[in-house]
Amino acid sequence: MPVPISQGLTVAGYLLKQKLAGRKRYPFVLMLEPLFRCNLACAGCGKIQYPAHILKSELSPEECFKAVDECGTPMVSIPGGEPLMHSQIDKIVEGLVERKKYIYLCTNALLLKEKLHLFKPSKYLTFSVHVDGQREHHDFSVCREGGYDQAIEGIKAAVKAGFRVTTNTTLFDGADPNSVRAHFDEMMELGVEGMMLSPGYSYDKAPDQKHFLGRARTRRLFRSILSNRKKSWKFNQSVLFLEFLMGKQHYKCTPWGMPTYNVFGWQKPCYLLQDGYADTFQELLDSTEWQNYGTESGNPKCANCMVHSGYEASAVDAQLNGLSGLWATIKSALAGNYEDADALQMLNEPVKPVHSFNPLVQISSTDSAMEETRA
Amino acid sequence: MSAPTHSDRAGAAQSTANAALDPEQLEIAAGTARQNVEGWVPELASDAEIRSALEQAFEYRGDVTITRKDGAKIEGYIFDRSTGDSLATSFVRLLPKDSHSRLKISYAEIAALAFTGRDAAAGKSYEAWVKKYWAKKTTGEGEASIQPDALE
Repeated sequence: MPVPISQGLTVAGYLLKQKLAGRKRYPFVLMLEPLFRCNLACAGCGKIQYPAHILKSELSPEECFKAVDECGTPMVSIPGGEPLMHSQIDKIVEGLVERKKYIYLCTNALLLKEKLHLFKPSKYLTFSVHVDGQREHHDFSVCREGGYDQAIEGIKAAVKAGFRVTTNTTLFDGADPNSVRAHFDEMMELGVEGMMLSPGYSYDKAPDQKHFLGRARTRRLFRSILSNRKKSWKFNQSVLFLEFLMGKQHYKCTPWGMPTYNVFGWQKPCYLLQDGYADTFQELLDSTEWQNYGTESGNPKCANCMVHSGYEASAVDAQLNGLSGLWATIKSALAGNYEDADALQMLNEPVKPVHSFNPLVQISSTDSAMEETRA
Repeated sequence: MSAPTHSDRAGAAQSTANAALDPEQLEIAAGTARQNVEGWVPELASDAEIRSALEQAFEYRGDVTITRKDGAKIEGYIFDRSTGDSLATSFVRLLPKDSHSRLKISYAEIAALAFTGRDAAAGKSYEAWVKKYWAKKTTGEGEASIQPDALE
């Protein structure tokens, strides 16, 4: 994992402590959402569909610090909404750096260049920039032409100023694996520290309800993307989680692994589902009926989920599970570039992104219309 | 007007059946089918109707107005609900539109419910965006985007 040694050691020490303490459910990364307001309106996002008075609400720095202290994780991810729109985001980051928390500030980077002066480069602070693929793919994904160019400008400025920068890419049905692989090349050339990947979750509240990947298609897509990988690609994720996305590992969801705190409180049960709120982290652990969640539970809301917030903590926990975890880790190290001739063949299959279909042009036959929406 | 239910999610029965058979075989995760409930005023004649309507209100992407049995009206966003054995032990938690307080209201105290706020996701489908994009391209009107709603 391309992170500073101090971060690796801190996280490893924390995880070992949890295991030695025999904690069955422990948090790995806190997802701190200080606001829901955003300067994008991505159709596949279900995080910002609120009335104006909720979108105007913000967690104060003190509320953020209380949640961070309560949860106790060494890593804090700050998504949203767009965190750079928070009126005191610099104070929040400063306070978390003081607490020696490793922060991933998740941003679409539209404001990054403009607000970079509010922050100081630190090993504790990483800008995790949302880039959903190459220019056309990203712009369609975030429903904003020009969004890609602004994000790239932000990345360049942050890298130049000495900040740690990673990218996070969410993939939906219709993603072109060759284009995603080319996107990896482009991001690494920009000098980012690593990349993060996830299939999109079928948010109940998202405006778009038609392009969420099912598990079978997710595995095929990620196998085609992540097999035969280039040495230059660095991923800021657990190797076993990436194998899970490729269908090489099977895990059960650990929704408590990345608990979420926002203006409503501690979200039940996870970062993606909103099934109510608890007022304290302990109440979240004690009062959530965990058996009702995860694909294995039969809950239809969890049927397609393979998202990091549910399964990356599972993968990390599995790595620490005695000999089987050790063996899985050794195998992943030996896998090298994950050579796979079938996966290479899959890259030759024709793909037409959903957005390439112009609905203003009349389609002559049903068959051709169907083809346009096939991944 | 009838309102959507939880079972409307994931292509209704088909997806639930698929998931029950083997979620690992799912190719596409069908999303939630939503009806437009903006402006809906549900009947609250029975306990079942009250429970169902408040579940819809919890799922709604806009504000609702609750009228208490003492006549007080509260407009706001329901962010939590907890259901107990009786209406008296079931409650919603709500952030009022005009204050920063958090209110907890028992189902037994609720006389009426109305979906008064705008559905925050209405009209922002991917299809609408793609259509807008191509329309802009066809007319040469410049860069296309879907903008977040103004907050005022």
